[in-house]
Amino acid sequence: MAEISFPLPDLGEGLIEATVLEWLVSPGEQVERNQPLVEVETTKSAVELPSPQAGKVVRIYGGPGDKINVGEPLIVFEVPDNTAGIVGTVPKEEAPKRRVRLSAVLDED
Amino acid sequence: MSGRHTGEQHSHTVEGTDPQLYVQVHEPQNDAGLRPVLLLHGFSSSSKLNWEDSGWLTALLEAGRRVITVDLPGHGRSGAPEDMDSYSPSRIRADLLQIVFDAGARPLRDGDPSSGLDVIGYSLGSRLAWEFGATQHELVHRLVLGGPNVADPLADFDLIAAQRYLADGTPIADESTAGLLKMAMLLPSNNIFALLSLVEAIKTEPYDPAEAVPHMPMLLVAGEKDDRAASMPELAALGAKAGGMVEQLVLPGRNHTNAITSRAFKQGAISFLGV
Repeated sequence: MAEISFPLPDLGEGLIEATVLEWLVSPGEQVERNQPLVEVETTKSAVELPSPQAGKVVRIYGGPGDKINVGEPLIVFEVPDNTAGIVGTVPKEEAPKRRVRLSAVLDED
Repeated sequence: MSGRHTGEQHSHTVEGTDPQLYVQVHEPQNDAGLRPVLLLHGFSSSSKLNWEDSGWLTALLEAGRRVITVDLPGHGRSGAPEDMDSYSPSRIRADLLQIVFDAGARPLRDGDPSSGLDVIGYSLGSRLAWEFGATQHELVHRLVLGGPNVADPLADFDLIAAQRYLADGTPIADESTAGLLKMAMLLPSNNIFALLSLVEAIKTEPYDPAEAVPHMPMLLVAGEKDDRAASMPELAALGAKAGGMVEQLVLPGRNHTNAITSRAFKQGAISFLGV
């Protein structure tokens, strides 16, 4: 088994830090890619961060109210050896089942 | 998983001019067979900030709900029309009605869970949802109103002071006005003059929840540290007096800004609307 650490990602708009509101996963838990990990608040808004990785949570950084800088460690996962180094395995996209069309049928006039 | 969606400027005119509203319909992978959910964001926010980045869209799609998002005029990816009428709440409600019909929502029919429309609003979006529910009782099945106001903070906004501040930096005396303007200016993507047009239009139609009260079941939600939590019982009493079933949910430790990501809020809304 290998460990992969993920930092707090760039949240855009020149933000350099975020405050942890609530963790939605805990150490020991198996998470799927894109599963919500944590809620954080910036000076501009509150955001829910999805998991970039499937794996078992080893460590999480910061409790509610703690500030984390962009680029500092946020979470560490344990993954099988053969997947370490591949960051964020992309799942297969299935063919679209339904499509919607929003263009209104405009009247002739 | 953001589901599949199409998005474009809404082009069906209701009042003769194009409101330039940006609409997206998001399809769940496994459709629960329930009516669509319309999401209405708050002042100075957008569908992306209020509903996507906060995890609402994913949560609703995972619950099998079909979701309609609309950026309000002057917000997000919607246009910023020049005419003030495009920003009036009554005009926005008329455009919303056209949008949801174009997206496939149909009037409620007894015994058909796919008929009708559920609406979730936040802050200004809750005001619009309250009025939309009150006027569209044949369409709206249930309402979830987050951070709902009883009074209208935008109606008391000091426009002249805001314009002076923007022109030459004259400090704004009114605290609420200063706070709202600061919030509006935080996001570089906001069109500040369009937002002021919205405020001006709202002043001509200030919010009075007692004027028209929705009768359908409602869930009211606010953060414990949001002043609106204290006034929620007033709204609940209005709804109950009108004969509606009203539930209230207070989110511990949350304020008006950070209540939006709360899991308890999302789960509460999804189960309230999952009938």
